[in-house]
Amino acid sequence: MERSFSKEVKQLRLGDGDTFHGEGILAVTKALLQSGVSYVGGYQGAPISHLMDVLVDAEDLLSELGVHLETSTSEAAAAAMLGASINYPIRGAVTWKSTVGTNVASDALSNLASAGVTGGAMMILGEDYGEGSSILQERTHAFATKSQMWLLDPRPDLETIVTMVEKGFELSECSNTPVMLELRIRACHVHGAFPTSDNKVGEYNRNRTIKEPSHDFGRITLPPSTYAQEKHKIEVRMPEAIKFIRENQLNDHFDGDINDVGIICQGGLYNATLRALVQAGLAEASGDSRIPILALNVTYPLVPDEISNFCAGKSAILMVEEGQPDYLEEAINVILRKADLQTKVIGKGPLPMAGEYTAEVVLRGLSEFLRQTAPKGVDLAVATAPIQELDQHKAKAMELLGDVLPARPPTFCTGCPERPLFSAIRILEKDLGPTHVSCDIGCHTFSTLPPFNLGNTVLGYGLGLSSAAGVAPNFDKRVISIMGDGGFWHNGVTNGVGSALFNKADGVLMVIKNGYTSATGWQYLPSTLRAREGRATGSSIEGVIKSMGANWLRNVPNYKVGSVMKTLRQALTGQGKGLRVIVADSECQLAKQRRVGPEVAARLKNGQRDVRTRFGIDEDTCTGDRACIRLSGCPSLTIKANPDPLRSDPVTTVLDTCVGCGLCGEVAHAAVLCPSFYKVDIVRNPNLWDRFKDGMHRRLLGDATRVRI
Amino acid sequence: MTDMDTKPIGLLIAAMGGEGGGVLRQWLVDAAMAHGLAVQSTSIPGVAQRTGATTYYLEMQSDKGTAVSGSNTKPRPVMSLYPLAGNVDIMVASELIEAGRAMQNGFVTPNCTTLIASTHRVFAVGERTAMADGRFDGTRVVKAADSLAQRAVLFDMEAMAHENGSVINSVLLGAIAGSNRLPIPTEGFEDAIRETGRSVEANLAAFRAGFAAVERGDLKPLTPDSELKRPWRGDPPMVEQLQHRVRDEFPGPARTVLREGVNRLFEYQNLAYAERYLQRLTRIERAELAAGGHGELVRDTGQYLALWMSYEDVMRVAQAKLDRKRQARIRAEVGAKPGEPVRIREYLKPGLDEATALMPGWIARPVLAAADKAGWRDRLNFGMTITSTALWGYSLLRVLSVLRFARPMGHRYQTEQVLIDDWIGNIAKAAALDLNLAAEIAACQRLLKGYGQTYQHGWQSFSQIMDALARPALRGDMPAADAAAAIARAREAALADPEGTALQKAIEPIKAKDLAAE
Repeated sequence: MERSFSKEVKQLRLGDGDTFHGEGILAVTKALLQSGVSYVGGYQGAPISHLMDVLVDAEDLLSELGVHLETSTSEAAAAAMLGASINYPIRGAVTWKSTVGTNVASDALSNLASAGVTGGAMMILGEDYGEGSSILQERTHAFATKSQMWLLDPRPDLETIVTMVEKGFELSECSNTPVMLELRIRACHVHGAFPTSDNKVGEYNRNRTIKEPSHDFGRITLPPSTYAQEKHKIEVRMPEAIKFIRENQLNDHFDGDINDVGIICQGGLYNATLRALVQAGLAEASGDSRIPILALNVTYPLVPDEISNFCAGKSAILMVEEGQPDYLEEAINVILRKADLQTKVIGKGPLPMAGEYTAEVVLRGLSEFLRQTAPKGVDLAVATAPIQELDQHKAKAMELLGDVLPARPPTFCTGCPERPLFSAIRILEKDLGPTHVSCDIGCHTFSTLPPFNLGNTVLGYGLGLSSAAGVAPNFDKRVISIMGDGGFWHNGVTNGVGSALFNKADGVLMVIKNGYTSATGWQYLPSTLRAREGRATGSSIEGVIKSMGANWLRNVPNYKVGSVMKTLRQALTGQGKGLRVIVADSECQLAKQRRVGPEVAARLKNGQRDVRTRFGIDEDTCTGDRACIRLSGCPSLTIKANPDPLRSDPVTTVLDTCVGCGLCGEVAHAAVLCPSFYKVDIVRNPNLWDRFKDGMHRRLLGDATRVRI
Repeated sequence: MTDMDTKPIGLLIAAMGGEGGGVLRQWLVDAAMAHGLAVQSTSIPGVAQRTGATTYYLEMQSDKGTAVSGSNTKPRPVMSLYPLAGNVDIMVASELIEAGRAMQNGFVTPNCTTLIASTHRVFAVGERTAMADGRFDGTRVVKAADSLAQRAVLFDMEAMAHENGSVINSVLLGAIAGSNRLPIPTEGFEDAIRETGRSVEANLAAFRAGFAAVERGDLKPLTPDSELKRPWRGDPPMVEQLQHRVRDEFPGPARTVLREGVNRLFEYQNLAYAERYLQRLTRIERAELAAGGHGELVRDTGQYLALWMSYEDVMRVAQAKLDRKRQARIRAEVGAKPGEPVRIREYLKPGLDEATALMPGWIARPVLAAADKAGWRDRLNFGMTITSTALWGYSLLRVLSVLRFARPMGHRYQTEQVLIDDWIGNIAKAAALDLNLAAEIAACQRLLKGYGQTYQHGWQSFSQIMDALARPALRGDMPAADAAAAIARAREAALADPEGTALQKAIEPIKAKDLAAE
C-alpha cells in the first residue's frame, strides 16, 4: 500500500506512563501488542484496513517482539490462522470487515469455536453498518451466538476499547473460546487518547519457537470429539465466561436518581445514548445520567443476574440495540421471565428495527420511551421538546431549499483505468444491444451508479463469474462478468474461473487488473508488480488462467477504448462456446499518482524535463449535450457557465484536476461525439530542442495568424 | 464558547473525497490539543474518497482538571460520535450543495450554528449529465443559510485557495479561525499547519487569506452567470451599414442581441449572410409589431437564429480552433508558465455528414440515402488527432477554415437554409395567433445541438415537436395557448433523456387525440 504510517508506528512503541493519541483502530493495534500476541493476520477492508496497514509498516517492531504478520488473501485464510491457538498457548488476532468477511471466514470459525482454544484468539471486526458503509447491512451477533464465540462491543472510548482487547484475551483463555471484538465505523475512526503500557512478548513466538507438536484428538472436529466439544461449550466454557465477565466487571453500570426506569445499551452505543439524554435534559456531558444505564461491553454472553439485578424494581427499561433481529431484547426478555421480573423491555418500536442508531435516532426513541412510561421525576414537556423542535426545524429547512438536493454518490476517481471499460461497454451496447452484466466487489462496483448504471447483480467478493453461472445458460446473449484482481485472488480463481472452465461455461470474463486492492486502500496482491520491498511478487493472473485451461485470453490496455471495444466485440460475438477472458491491464491511477507525484516533483526541482498532459474542451464548439459526461463520468469532466452571451445552457469543461489519462478524447473518438476535445502537453523545464521547435512553430504560425484570409 | 466548561462544542465538516478534509480535521485536533482542550474527532471515509460526500465530526471541551486517565480528577467528558441538530456550533461545508445538505439534515440551527461554507460548485453527477441545464439553484441555499444559521460565512473559498496556490482545507481553517468560535488563538492554527510540514507556506497564505476575508466581512456569496459572459464582439468596419439598420429598424430590447448576431454571422460567412439574418428578422419584427409585441420575440428569435445560422460544421470548427485568443486561453487554463512550450492536439473524427456537407445536393442526397439504407451513416468516420500548434496541423485547419467560402454551394448549407426559412415562417405565422406560441416555436432551436448522431437526434426531436404540436396549431387544429404550453413541456421532455423516451411520452397522447379527432 502506498500510504506511509511511520508516525503511527512510533506510537506502537510507547510504554508505561505514555499517552497514545490517534485513531480507534490503531489503539486496538497497540492493545494487541500490549496483550502479547504472537501472530496477527487479516484481510483489508473499511473500517479496519489501518490495523493491517500500520503493522505492514512496523516490520522492525514486529521482529523485535517476534510477532508474525500475515496479509491473508481472504478472511477464510485469516480465520484459519487462529488454529495456532487451538493447541498452543500463543495469542493471536485477526481482522476483517464484518459481516461480509465473517461470512467468508465462517467455515474456519465454526471449526475453531468447536475445537476451542488454549491461547487467546481474537477477531477484530469492523461492524460496517450505517452511514459510510459499503456493504449489505447485517449484524455480526448471529455468528457469535450460532458458533458460540464471545462478542465484545466496547464503549467507543479508546481506554475502554484497549481494556476490552486486553481483557478479551484473558476471557478467551479462561473459557477456551475465541472472542470477537466489534467496532463500528465511527469508533474505528474516532481520534482520542489512552495511557499506554509496555508491549508484551508472547511465551512462544517467531523468535522463541514451539519445539513439540501437540496432538489432542479432543481438539479435532471429528466425531466423537465434536459431541464432546458441543457439551463442553455449554457445561464449561459458557459458565466460565459468565463468571469472568461478572468478576472483572466488563460491563459498565452507571447509577442515576430516577430509578423507576433504566437503559440497557450496547457498549458501542453508549455515547449516542448519553448525548440523547443530555439533549433531553436528563444527563450531563460529563457522563452523569439521571436515568441508570447498563452499558454492555460484552453483548454475548449476557450475565443473567447482572441483567435481573439492574431491572429489579424498575417498571420499564429502554433497550438500545442497533440492527435486527433484536437478539438482545429477546434474550433479556427471557432472562427477566426466568427471574420472574415484570419489568417491561421497550426497545424496537420506539426505536427503529433497522438502520443506524445516530444520536438523533436514539433521541427520538428516548422521547417516545419517556412518553410511554412517564417516569417519576421527568418533566415530559422539557424532555421531548428537542425532538419536536428538530422536526419543525428540518421542515423549515426543506421548505427554504425548495427541492431535493442533488445526490453525490461515489464514483471512479479522475483518470481511473476502470472507467474506460464501462465506457466501452456502454458504447458497444448501442450496436450489440444490452446484455446481463454480473458485477463483483471492488471499485468497479461503482459501474452500477450514475452515469453508467451498468450491472445487474453483486453477489460477493470474487463471485462475479460464479454469479453468472445460472444466468448465462438462460440468457439470450453472451453474459459479461466482471472481476477485479482483488476478487480474483480472494475467491474468483477457484469459485469463478475454476468452476466456469470445469463446467464448460460460455461467457465473457473481464478481469480488471490494476495491481492493488484499491477500494480498501491500495494493499498489495499476489500479482502486484512491485511489492513493498520493490520486488515482483511472482504470481501472474494470466499465467494462472492459462494453466487452468482457458484458451481464449486477451490482454487489453484500458485507456484504448477502441481496442477494448474491439476485443469485447470479438468476445461477445465470436463463434464457438467457451469462456473468454479479457484481462484489462492498467495501474490504479490514484496509486500511480501517489507513486509518480514525488518523482515528478523531484525531477522538476532538479531542473529536469517533464511533460504534463491535460485535456480541455473548446467552449466555442461545445454545444453542451453532455454525451461525453454520460459516457465517462470523470469527476474532472464537468460543466461551467456558458461564456457565449447568446447561449444559456452551461458548457462542458475539464478541471485542473485532470491527470491526462485521455479517456475523454478516446470516448469522443469511439462514440463519434464532437470535435471539442483537445490534449495539451505542457513541457516543463524544456530542453534546447523543445525551445527550438517551439520557437520555429511560433515564428511560422505567428506570421500566419496575422494573414487574414 | 461560553458554556464550554460544561458542554462540548460541536464542529461538523461536510466535504467530498480528495479535498483534504482529513488534514483539516487533523489541524483542528492538533490546535485544540496544543491549547489544552479535550478533543475527539471521527469520520466515515468509507468509499467517499472517490468524490462522494462525507463528513467529519469533532467535539472539543475545555480540559480543566481532566486528564487522559486518573481517578482523582474530573471524569473525561463523554463525547458524541454523532452530530446532533441543535448542538452543532460550527458547520463547515467545503461546497455550496454540501452546505445545503447540512441544512436539509437539520444541522444548521439559529440557536448556535455558525455556518462556514464555500460557495463554489462541484457539480453532482445528475447536474453534469443533464442535457440542458440541470444545475441546482444556488441562491436557494444562500437564502436558506441566511435564515437558518446564527451566522453565515459564505464565499468562494476554492477560488481563494487557487489564488494562494493551496487547497480549500487551509482557507476553511482560516475561516473557522476568523469566525472566532473556538477558544484557540490564531497562532495555534498556524502552528498546526507548520506541524504537518507539507506545503506550509502555501497553506499559511491561504489560511491567512481565509481569516482576513472573514474579519473584513466583505464576502460575496455567488457570482451570477451573467457576470461570467464574454464581452460582446466589437463591430468589424464592414458591417457598419448593417449595424445602422439594427439601430434604425429594430426595437430597443432586441438591438444588443441582433448586433452580436450580425457580427457573428459576418465572421461565420460574409456580409450577405449577415444581411440575410436581418432580412429574416424583419419578417418577425413586422409580425410582432402587428401582434402588439414590444421586441421580445425579435430579440429571442434573433438569438436563436444567430445560433442556427452559425451551425456547427467542419469549417466553423476549424475557424474556432484557429481563433487568435485561443492559445492564450488554453495556456491560462492549463496553467502553463511563460517559457513552457505547449503542444495542442485536436481530437477530430469527421464522418459522412461532414464530408457530404460541401458536396452539391445532387451528389450528397443519394450518397446519404444509400448510407442510411446500408446502416453506414454513423459508421463511416475518420478519426484523427491534429497538432494545431505544429505547421502541418495548423495548415490543415487553415485550409478547412478557408473552405467556408465554398459553404453556400454545399448540400448542408442549402438544407439548413430551407429549414430555417420554414421555421422563421412558422414563428411569423404563430405570432399572428399568439405571441407565446411564436416564442415557444422559436425556443425549439435549443434542441439543435451537437454533431453527428447527437445533432440528428436533436433534429428528430425538433421535427416531432413541429409536426405534432406547432403545425396543428398553425392550421387551427389546436388552440394556440394549449399548443404553446404543450411545446414548452415537450421541449423540456426532449432534453430530459438522450433516448427521447420522455418526449415520446409527452407527444404520444396528443398525437393519439389528433388521430381520434380526424
